[in-house]
Parts: sequence; C-alpha cells; structure tokens
Amino acid sequence: MEIHSHPQATMAVKTGRYMLVLLLIITLNFLIPRLMPGDPLLNIIGEEAYYGAGGALETLREGLGLNQPFVLQYFSYLGGVFTGDWGYSYLYMKPVLTAVMGHLGWSLVLVLPAVILAAIAGAFTGSIAAWRRKTGTDTALTGSLLLAYSMPHYWLAMLALFVFAFMLGWFPLGRAVSGGLGGFAYFADVLWHMVLPLSVLTLSKAAYDHLIVRSSVVSIYGEDYILTAQSRGISGMAVLFKHGLRNALAPLVTVTAIQFGMLFSGALMVEVVFSWPGMGTLIYQAISARDYPLLQYAFFIITVCVLAANFLADLVYRWLDPRMR
Amino acid sequence: MKLTGLFKRNPWLFTGIIMITFFMLAALFSPWLAPHDPWQYQQPFLEPSWQHLLGTNDVGQDIFSELLTAGRVSLGVGFTAALIAAVTGVAIGILAGFRRGILDEILMGATDVVLVIPILPLVVLVSVYLGPGLLNTSLLIGFTMWPPVARVIRSRVLNLRQAGFVESARALGAGDWWIMSRHVLPNVLPLVLAKFVLTLAGAMLIEASISFLGLGDPSAKSWGMMLHYVFTRGGFIREMWWWYLPPGMAIALVILALNLVNLGFEEKADPRLKRVLER
Repeated sequence: MEIHSHPQATMAVKTGRYMLVLLLIITLNFLIPRLMPGDPLLNIIGEEAYYGAGGALETLREGLGLNQPFVLQYFSYLGGVFTGDWGYSYLYMKPVLTAVMGHLGWSLVLVLPAVILAAIAGAFTGSIAAWRRKTGTDTALTGSLLLAYSMPHYWLAMLALFVFAFMLGWFPLGRAVSGGLGGFAYFADVLWHMVLPLSVLTLSKAAYDHLIVRSSVVSIYGEDYILTAQSRGISGMAVLFKHGLRNALAPLVTVTAIQFGMLFSGALMVEVVFSWPGMGTLIYQAISARDYPLLQYAFFIITVCVLAANFLADLVYRWLDPRMR
Repeated sequence: MKLTGLFKRNPWLFTGIIMITFFMLAALFSPWLAPHDPWQYQQPFLEPSWQHLLGTNDVGQDIFSELLTAGRVSLGVGFTAALIAAVTGVAIGILAGFRRGILDEILMGATDVVLVIPILPLVVLVSVYLGPGLLNTSLLIGFTMWPPVARVIRSRVLNLRQAGFVESARALGAGDWWIMSRHVLPNVLPLVLAKFVLTLAGAMLIEASISFLGLGDPSAKSWGMMLHYVFTRGGFIREMWWWYLPPGMAIALVILALNLVNLGFEEKADPRLKRVLER
C-alpha cells in the first residue's frame, strides 16, 4: 500500500505528492455531500438536524453559506477544516471536533499495542515457518494463521465474546469501563475490558504479519549469500536469524507502518462488536443516526492518519534498505 | 497427470480450488438445493431439526436456505467488484506501462492517490449517501480496488515492452493498439488472474463488512447481512450458535480458499523458490 516509488524521485517530490493527496481528500470530503443525491443541506447537517429544524431550515442554509457560489463555499469550507470548525454533531450534542477527539484515544489504546504485539509474534512464527517450510510445523502454523487471517475480524470477535464472556464469564460483555472506579482500580478495569478485543485484533494482525514474514524469509533462502553461508557450514538457525531475518525485515516494517496508519480505523469492526467507545463505535452510531458531519470528519481523520503513516513508511523503508538510498 | 500428483505438487492451490468450486456450485444451484423459500415467514427462533437443518431466524426464515441463497449475493458482489477492479487496473496498467511519457505520469499519479485512501471508510461514507443497492456496492468496491492491479500490471508491461516478440512485432509495422491487445495483454493474463483472486477476497470482505454495519440491500441478503441480523436481532444474546456460526464460517472458508489459491500461485511463480525446493 505504500506510495509508488520511482527510485529517482527525491523526497521533495514525494512530499509534494503527499500534500496533493491531502488536498484531494479534503476536496473529496467537500464534494461528496454536495454531489450525492438529495438536498446538500440534509447531506451536510444529517437527518436528525434536518428534520428537527422545522422552519429554521432556510436560516441554516444561509448560515452554512449554501446559497453562495460553489467556489466561495469551497474556500470557507477549507478555512473550517484547518481551524477545527467541523460542524455540529446532533447525535452527541456537541461539536464534531469534540465528539471525534473523545473517541480517538480509545481506538489508539486498542490498536497501538495490537500492532506491536502482532509484529513481534508474526516475525517469530513467520521465520520459524519459513525455516521449517514444507514440514508439519509450517503447515500447522501457516495453515491455522491463514484461517485466522481469512475470518472476518468482527466474526472472530463475536466468537471470542461468546466463548469467554457469555459461556465462561471471564471477561465483560463489552464497553471499556465499568464506571465508578478511580486510580489503580480504574486502570485494572480498563485492562480487564481490553483483553478480548486486544487479543482478537492481535491475532488477526499477527496472522497477516506471519504470512508476510514467512514469504519474505522463504524468498531470501534462494539468495546467493544465504547459500554461501549455508555452504560455509553455518547452522540453519544461525543463518535464519543472522542473515535471513534481518534482510527480510523490511516488508514487515512497511506493513507495521501501514498498520500504525490504521490507528483509528484498524479496529472499526471489532470495536462495534465489543461496544468499545472508539472510532468504530462512533462511525457505527453515526451511520444509524445518519449523522453526516460526524461520518465525514471521521473519514477525514482516518485518511489523514493513513497518509501520514504512508509517508513515514516511505522514510523508514529508505533508511532500512540501502538499495533505496 | 494423476490428481494425486497434482495435489502433491501444489497442495495449497489444489485444496483452494476444490473449496471455492464447492461454494460456487452451492450458490449457483441454491434455488434447487434450498429446502425452503429463504424469504418465507415460518415459526421464529426454532432450533435445528430435520425440518429446519439450521433452525429459523427472528422472523421465521429457514437459516439453511438463507445461507445457500446468501452465497449468491456475497460471491456475486465479490466477482462483479473484482472484475471491475481487474479490467480497470489492467487497462490503466497496460496504457501507462506501454505508452509511458506524460500519460504514464498522470495515470500512475491517480493510482497512487486512490491507493492511499482507506477503502472501507470510503465505501461506508459513500454508501450512507447512496443508499442500499447491490449495483452501487459492487461499483463502489470495484472502483476503489483497482490501483494495486494497475501497479503490478504496469511494472510487468515495462519489462514486456523490451521483449523480443514486441520489438519484432513493432519492426513488422504493428501499431500500439495491436501490440497491446495481441501481445501484451495475453502475457499479463496469468498475473491478472493471481491479482483477481486477491481482489475477490478483499471485495468480499468489504461487502461483508458494510452489510454487517447495516448498509447492505435488505432485499438481497448476503452472509454479511445475515451476521448483521444475528447481531442486531438478538441471535447472539440468545446463544443461537446455529444462526451466527454458519454465515461467518462460510465467509471465512471462501476467503481461506482464495488465500490458498494465491499462496499456491506464489510458490509456483517464484523461480528462485523453485530452485531451492528442488535441491
């Protein structure tokens, strides 16, 4: 998913490209509600606000500048994007910016550890499977992780919820906090709520990391320097960890950087199943309430984050792989 | 060649193809295989029995018949979307790679832009505005998933345009369009097939996700939408495993089959790997 790289493209050119993409996404967010079928006013403020406004509709239209020429609308929209004037969420009864900010943190505490744990687990199992490829170990590891990777995350979440919360009762049925707790008890309570969603996320991300690492380690086994090392009598494990893993790490780093980009979107569906109060639940509720401003800016935040991570991945990749320099 | 030999040489590819064929046949013949009309209201919340193999749902529809019929929508939307993505991607990839120049810059620039936009959030956002509809969903998913195809095809075409047979066709006076359609296209088709399999898996997962979120077409139930109803209509709370296990399992097995096929392709395509395996 990394931005296409001509080897000769300098960093300045790349930065310019990313800025262009950013502007394009902002513009897309402006165009979508105005070009979609239906009254643009409805598409901008959402159903609740629209049908609840009664006679005040025209005042609202005036206030949002929808009677002005398209170009003027665009520039006042641009101003709003950068000053944090993102409109009002009728679902949460507060400005969109405040509503979104209140949910970002919860997604972050879930996705961040999941990505890191998954990368470590995937690097380990992936290289073991590559080293032992075409044996029972590889088939069992890769086969079961491929199955986990193929499951829809939210279904895996439902299974986990059913077994460990419903049947065994070890973990809560959802949400992130029980309420009424403070200090250390609060912290422990959040951790307790986190176990299931975090495990599901880690497993599904680790499964992907495993496949990436396995295939890149397998592919370097044919490289001459590995053959040389092997012919010099270096043991399999040593070759794997000294020469293999280091050179096969670049794809994993890229994948991990991309997963960091999905800090706010990586857990969308899993959050819905566990009613985890992050961006996923926010979007789910915004869909049900047709709260369009909320949806638009949720998309905006998610996309900007993905963009930033791609940029970062580009930098890291260059630094890791000398051939790219 | 004997089937066992084929299985031994590439067990993953073989298993994947058998699985996906099974699901496609089941979906194709669902009107004849389904014991009940999947839309007919009968007694709700029944447990599995010989009458209803997987029981009935909240409005009394036979879950087994629903499962078979839903396969058509899930696979149908997936195939349509993947086909759109593949055709668009191939067209753009070949044009950009073969013509080069400013056209290449523009097309690849556009590809890079679409490539970074996260698909699921975009499809969710636009679906909310467009309203439910199978065609909308297929088009939307198709037109967000072409960039990886275009990228891969382009780099293959860059190699191909220097190949001997292309040079000789050009020397014989063949035009660009002739070379692209008669020489370049047939040579990228195996690669397109591999990419198609992955795109199909991705498209089916996206469809399942947005249907699960309640943005699917209620008049055409898919596996994702079955899960939506399980989740919102109390099938989950009532511990009706015969309702929520089968649709998820169906999705997981189809995606698994596609991933197996892809893995099989990968092993087959990498000559370096082959060298190692043969030692």
